[in-house]
Amino acid sequence: MKRPKLLETVLRNLVSKPATIQYPREKTTIEPDFRGIQYADLSKCTGCSLCSIECPADAIKMTPIPQEYAVPKINPRRLYPLINYGKCVYCYRCVKVCPVNAYIVTSKYDIAGPTRYTSEDLSLKTLKEVKSQ
Amino acid sequence: MYDMSVTKIVEIPVVTTEVPIGPQHPALHEPVMLKVYADGEEVVRVDVNTGYNHRGIEKLCEKNTFYRDIFIVSRVCGICNAVHANCYVRALEQILDVTPNRRAKFLRVLSMELERIHSHMLINAVMAEIVGFETLFMQIMLDREKVMKAKEILTGNRVSADFMIVGGVRRDIDDVKKEKIKEILLKLKPRVEYYVKVFEEDETILKRLIDVGKINYRDATSHSFVGPPARASGVRIDSRASDKYDAYDEIPFNVVTRNEGDSWARMMVRWSEVMESIEMGLYILSNLPLDGNPVPDERRLPRKFPPGEAFTRVEAQRGELTYYVMSDGKSQNPYRVKIRTPSFNNIVNSAFMYVGYSLADVPVILTSLDPCISCMERVTVIDLEKGTRERIPFKQLSSGGKR
Repeated sequence: MKRPKLLETVLRNLVSKPATIQYPREKTTIEPDFRGIQYADLSKCTGCSLCSIECPADAIKMTPIPQEYAVPKINPRRLYPLINYGKCVYCYRCVKVCPVNAYIVTSKYDIAGPTRYTSEDLSLKTLKEVKSQ
Repeated sequence: MYDMSVTKIVEIPVVTTEVPIGPQHPALHEPVMLKVYADGEEVVRVDVNTGYNHRGIEKLCEKNTFYRDIFIVSRVCGICNAVHANCYVRALEQILDVTPNRRAKFLRVLSMELERIHSHMLINAVMAEIVGFETLFMQIMLDREKVMKAKEILTGNRVSADFMIVGGVRRDIDDVKKEKIKEILLKLKPRVEYYVKVFEEDETILKRLIDVGKINYRDATSHSFVGPPARASGVRIDSRASDKYDAYDEIPFNVVTRNEGDSWARMMVRWSEVMESIEMGLYILSNLPLDGNPVPDERRLPRKFPPGEAFTRVEAQRGELTYYVMSDGKSQNPYRVKIRTPSFNNIVNSAFMYVGYSLADVPVILTSLDPCISCMERVTVIDLEKGTRERIPFKQLSSGGKR
């Protein structure tokens, strides 16, 4: 019988470092422009709902901004796009169709977890909070 | 007490045994059921049962706008998402009469060829696993990761590219990215050459694959096989060469055919195509044209679609994929989107191939066809009140659901 072709590789792999990584402890190397989570910058958003209309996964829902936030004048209807990241397919159609380039893109991808994760906190952080009376 | 009056024992021979293979991953982790009727070890008849993964994508396309559908058809199949999107987008471009520039066409081809490389590597790895050679499976999958990285650099995601848009592509590449992808392809080339040698010389693989699931030229054409299963039987069918869509008229490549027609030949055709695709990728990266911006502004794309219809085809990894898109000119949604995937031809027509081989060969033959169940499902209507089943024929489906 001939010597198996893969024998050399197998022996080399016995002593070498594993190719896999211990994922949650060790981060995966990703590109800086990887399509990660995106959220609207509410200082630019006009609440036009175009991203919500164009979203192929119906992941974006136009939601009223809570009363305690000061909203810029360009957004008279006080609406902002709330992205449900569990539904989002990360196609970035919303980012590309936004008429005022309001979307902020990140390369964050490790969002799986036991709770529902939306863009609520990320988006509202871009606004100045007004103290309630 | 033993009854001494019995003088004869009559044995009734069992003519065939029915062995269900699937629907929980028969070869790949995809739901298809092969009802195998075996006489001892020998397969005498196979029924291909599908219908476990029907999602109604064609109907979904009619309910969504033209632009939303680009991302919906990408999700027909994870592994061939760029080709699905490309085929659909080219149909829209035909209706709108838009032509992307040359740089966009080259980038489209690059993304599709990267996809072909990783898809063919995946099925070859799965084949190694099916024949019980898990070490080779792990090795190939490790090298496949490099291609996924190249795809991530080019498109922004490892699997779902979402790279095609009407009039171009959705992101451009710069010189740094170009060098990175080039480096990956150059690193990959010797590895693929090595795997070709393993598939040519390793005894485990040769014993399981050679002369298993043979199709001759006549059967391959009469059963309308497409893609690597047809090309492994000597049928020179490749819509990249015959249709010359996108930039395939400018990029040199060879159509790989073999004459053996067995499972081994199908796998070797795939490896040779990987080599061709690597060469094409390197050619694209060194000859990328500089004729303007390939990324159209998605806010300024035409909103109104004129009435018209378009029929496009691409050579997906598994064979020829065709799209028929119809616009009635009134609504924002397509009137009809008809998808015909290569796996539909290759799997539904494949029942005759298994006959005469042993039961252990069934997964090998199925894997050698590269089944992609998620894109080939068709409708079966079950009337719950009468308890009848009715399969809607292809003719009726193509007539837009008219009875």
